[in-house]
Amino acid sequence: MREDDIIICRCEDVTLGTIRELIRQGYTTLEEIKRIARCGMGPCQGKTCTPLIAREIAAITGKDIHEIMKQNHRPPFGGITFEEIVSGRDEE
Amino acid sequence: MILEYDAAIIGGGPAGICAAIAAGKNGLKTLLIEERDFLGGQLIKQTHRFFGSEEEHAGTRGIHIADDLKAELVGLSNIDVMTSTTALGYYEDGILTALHDEKMVKIKPKSMVLATGAFERFLPFENNDLPGIFGAGAVQTLMNIYGIKPADKVLMIGSGNIGLIVSYQLIQAGVQVIGVVEAASKIGGYLVHASKLRRLGVPIMTRHTIKKAIGTDKVQGALLCQLDENWQEIEGSQKQVACDAICLAVGLTPLADILSQMGCETTFIGELGGIVPKRTADLETTKPGVFVAGDLAGIEEASAAMLEGELAGLNAVKFVTGDERVNERIHHLKGELHGLRAGPVGEKIRYGLAQLFEDSVITSEKIDSHEHDITQLAHTGIPAWENIDEKMPDEQRMIKPYAVIECFQEIPCNPCVFSCPFDAIYIPKEDINLSPVVNFDKCTGCLSCISGCPGLAIFVEQRNPEQGKGTVSIPFEMLNRPQKGDVVDLLARDGHKLGTGIVTRILYGQKQDKTAVITVETDIELVNKVRNIQLQGTDKKGVM
Repeated sequence: MREDDIIICRCEDVTLGTIRELIRQGYTTLEEIKRIARCGMGPCQGKTCTPLIAREIAAITGKDIHEIMKQNHRPPFGGITFEEIVSGRDEE
Repeated sequence: MILEYDAAIIGGGPAGICAAIAAGKNGLKTLLIEERDFLGGQLIKQTHRFFGSEEEHAGTRGIHIADDLKAELVGLSNIDVMTSTTALGYYEDGILTALHDEKMVKIKPKSMVLATGAFERFLPFENNDLPGIFGAGAVQTLMNIYGIKPADKVLMIGSGNIGLIVSYQLIQAGVQVIGVVEAASKIGGYLVHASKLRRLGVPIMTRHTIKKAIGTDKVQGALLCQLDENWQEIEGSQKQVACDAICLAVGLTPLADILSQMGCETTFIGELGGIVPKRTADLETTKPGVFVAGDLAGIEEASAAMLEGELAGLNAVKFVTGDERVNERIHHLKGELHGLRAGPVGEKIRYGLAQLFEDSVITSEKIDSHEHDITQLAHTGIPAWENIDEKMPDEQRMIKPYAVIECFQEIPCNPCVFSCPFDAIYIPKEDINLSPVVNFDKCTGCLSCISGCPGLAIFVEQRNPEQGKGTVSIPFEMLNRPQKGDVVDLLARDGHKLGTGIVTRILYGQKQDKTAVITVETDIELVNKVRNIQLQGTDKKGVM
């Protein structure tokens, strides 16, 4: 097994090789990498992989890890079904 | 329907519960939201006695602290608790949404305390997705909440307090811990926890790391290697070990998603665990009326989380009501927090906080630490003889029983002082970080202090030179407890077998609260070497 096969995002099965290739192609923000590779979009919502990806971006681009880690988060933080949203509304 | 509250607290762990109690006690209509179906957060998995100040629950097991806090919470009728409820988002019009009872509810709070805690870090290495690779916290959840034995043979990665404590708990659950691997040159957690593992025979390998998990369908072993001073692999140092689980205890990161979504400014401070909220010394974020507490504000011990929770709760009271009467308690809490962080083990957090508060009274200056050289202890978990000698009385005094406190690292902890009925234990200069001292004129060797020490670092010895015999009393928390009269194996500080002894006394009552005090009689020259016992024929040591 090669280093490139190491799993970085366990939820979406994204490997270190994929992350490194994307960074080399010029995708050097967490946002861009997430949109292409889906890492961070699984059940844990990026809690596991985000620091690992940020470290790779910093290592390859020399960017400041502080800047890389700054991200926007949007609601909802957890999964919610349309039914749950609508049934909350019924009480109004 | 919009639910209106004076204060909404997100997170029902130690920080959140303390914030809710502080807010509720001072008359705020308070809502406490917790994602899990139970309150208490990480406290309910902590079977060890807490370190810290006697005044702030120290000496009490985490599980019992959780019960005490929950009882206090239930007694306050102006606090509503929603468990199994996930906060979903916060919107510009001041509405917080949450998923509760399969419905999305809307909440309008006048103030908020965010206490969402932290999550476990993961490590990239080959085969890191094999079944059998756990976070240490996950293993603790399986064992201590659900009663599931996670594996038979565990390799622990990381020697911080979580790694050390979970290793100990695994052994209590009958799991073999084959070793603790630490990439740094020193043990990360409290050294008393490390010493507990060493005398159970568990090796701690500093300057080592995991390269690869071995196995096809599940973990069957691990490939380790040694690191040089620049954290690079030393050639030819690879070593394969057999295990059926690998436990990662490599740090925590604050669960900060909610902060950036709410528009609270954040900053990255490695010493505090990653992205943390900018905040005042009163824990108020850049959004007025929104406070933070606990691991979300920066990774620290639960004792600090509880103090911060109360501090944030009281400041929420002040924000909503303008009540200045809480000021005195606020001042006191800040003093307590300062005390907890004042010693050598608080250095990292002090440095992190100093970056946060440019004009802070909390200094990052390195406090000239340790009266004693504890290098050997910090590298191995075993104290040097010169450290131990300093804790011993003179030879004439040894014919009567005396307590030996093997607590050498400066950590904020003082329950031993309060456990002694004869006022024989004191902490110099009343500085909670300094290591305790026994006044041998007052000590009667009554054994009271042994089970009260959160680090299980107190032993009582007595020597009878005429008969060439002596006794040693040790704390014991394993299931296979010997009986009075049993001949048991005597183990040294590194877990190796010294010989045998006879159990002459066992204390295991309410006062000991499950930490038995076992006295064994043995040859006089072994008295100061014996630090653990095991039933004969139950050898279950580390194998690395």
